[in-house]
Amino acid sequence: MNRQAAPQPATPQTVPRVPAWAVPRGPVESDVEAAYLAGGALNSLDILARSGAPWLAAWRHRLALKAAAATLKRLRRPEDEAALRDAWVLRQPGDALGPAGNVLLAWRKLAGRSLPLSFEDLQTVADLLGVNSSAAFGGLLAGIADDARAGLPAPLVAARAGAAVLRENPQAETVAWWVADLALSWRMGWSPAVPILAGQMHMPILRTGPDRRRGRPGDQEFERGACLAAALGAAEACRLAAGMAQQAERLRAVEPKLRSKAAGGVIALLMTDDAVSGSLTTGTMTRWASRRLFERLHQFEAVRELSGRAAFRLYGL
Amino acid sequence: MARPARETAGLLDTELDGLPPDLRWREWMTRVEAVIFASPEPVTRDLLARIVGTSCSIDLLIEDVCNELAARPYEIVTVAGGWQFRTRPRQADVLKAAFGTAVAAEISAGEMLVLVSIAYHQPVTRAALSDMLGREVSRDTIGQLRRQDLIASGPRAPQPGAPYTYVTTRKFLDQFGLETLRDLPDLEALEDAGLLDKEKLLAGDLPGVCR
Repeated sequence: MNRQAAPQPATPQTVPRVPAWAVPRGPVESDVEAAYLAGGALNSLDILARSGAPWLAAWRHRLALKAAAATLKRLRRPEDEAALRDAWVLRQPGDALGPAGNVLLAWRKLAGRSLPLSFEDLQTVADLLGVNSSAAFGGLLAGIADDARAGLPAPLVAARAGAAVLRENPQAETVAWWVADLALSWRMGWSPAVPILAGQMHMPILRTGPDRRRGRPGDQEFERGACLAAALGAAEACRLAAGMAQQAERLRAVEPKLRSKAAGGVIALLMTDDAVSGSLTTGTMTRWASRRLFERLHQFEAVRELSGRAAFRLYGL
Repeated sequence: MARPARETAGLLDTELDGLPPDLRWREWMTRVEAVIFASPEPVTRDLLARIVGTSCSIDLLIEDVCNELAARPYEIVTVAGGWQFRTRPRQADVLKAAFGTAVAAEISAGEMLVLVSIAYHQPVTRAALSDMLGREVSRDTIGQLRRQDLIASGPRAPQPGAPYTYVTTRKFLDQFGLETLRDLPDLEALEDAGLLDKEKLLAGDLPGVCR
C-alpha cells in the first residue's frame, strides 16, 4: 500500500487547549481562584466551540454521551458509555429506548438542538430523565434568559439555574445538571449547547461542602463548584476535541482513496454523530457495502472501532 | 380422499346413508355448528372430520353455516388453525358498555416475576431473563405481557442473532402506581429488612406484589 501520502500529523495549533494553569489540580478553597480557572478554561473552549470545525457535532454528541453516563452513575444504574452507545445505535425505529437510553436521548436533545429551547422541550427532557415534569419549571427559562442578559458570569448563571430547579423539586438533581449545562451554553452563546458540567459531577474536587459531600446544584458552595466543573469540563472537552480533530484530519486525507460511491455520506455521518453502526444501511448502500467501507477506513486508521467487539461494530472518530 | 379410521365410527353414524342428500347436508351443518359452539377453543379440521361423512367438504359446510349466520351478531371465524364463534367486531362498543373495558387477564405469579425482572434489569433479553431466573422464560409469557402493554421491545442486544431486549412501558408505571422507575422499591433495602427472600421469589411466591 502506498503510504507516502500519509496524512500529515494534525496541527495541534488548530485545536485550542486549556492551558495547564487553568486546570484545577487539588482542592480549591477560594471563590476567586475558582472563577479565575473557569475564565481561563472557558476562553479556550469558547474559541473551539466557535471554530466551525466540521466534526464539532460529533464532538458535542460524545460530550452528551459522557454527561449521560455520569447521570446514570448518579442514578445508580449500571450502564456505562459503551452500553449507552449500543442502546442508541442498535435501536430500531419505534423501539422504546429503556431508562438508560432515555437519559442519553435527553442529553442528545441538548447537544443536537439550537438554543434557546422551549418549555415543551424542558418538559420532555424532565420526563426522559425520570422526573415528574411540573409546571413549576415555567419561570426557569425566563430566569436563565434574564441572568444571561444581565451579563452574569456563565458558571454563575449555570449554578443559579440548577439551584432554581432543585428549589422547585429537590428530587430533580438530574434535571438540575441538565439545566445548568443549558444555562452555561446559553450565556456563552454556544448553539447547539456544549454539555461540559454534568460529566464532572463525580469529580472529587467538587466536594466543596464542609462535610465533603458530593457537590450538587443548590449547595451553598455550588457557585465555586460550578466554576471548578466548568474548568475541568472545558479541559476534558478540549482534550477530547484534540483527539477527534486528529482523527477527522486523517479521515479527510483518505477520502480520495475511497472508491465507494456513498463514502461521502458516511464521512458526513461520522462527522456529525458519536458512532455509526458498522452495518449501516442507507438508500445508496447495503450493509455489506458499508461493512467493506468501514473495514477499509479502519485499515487506514481513519476511524476508531468503539465497541471492541468482533460483531455489531460501531465506528466513530 | 381416504381418511384414517375413526374411533367414533362405531358410535356415531357419520355417513347418514339413509337420508336424502338435502337432509344429510343439513344434518352435517347442524353437527358442525354444534361442535364449534360447544368448544371453548378453536375447533380443528381433524375434529370436524370425525363427525361428518368422508365425502363432504368441510370448507363448504362451514361456508353454508356462515351464510345462515349472516343476520346474527356472531360469526364463525378462522383463528389459530381452527374455527371459533366470535361476536362480530361491530358489537365491540356494546360489549364494552355492558362489561366495561377491563377484560384484561390477570397476571399470574410467574408472569409477575418476569415482569419484575424486566423492570429492574431493563433493557434485558429473554435469554438473559432465563439465566437470571434459572428457568426458561417462554415466548408466551413475554407475549402475554406485551399484549397487556406492560412491556415493549427495546433496542436490540449486540449478541448473536441480535435478540430484542424488553423494557417496561408507561402503562406499567400506571398500573403499579409508580411515577418513575426510580420509585421501584430498593431491592437491597427490602432484603435487609427481611421482606424479600430470593429463594421464595424463585419458587414463584411473590409476597404482596399481586394486586
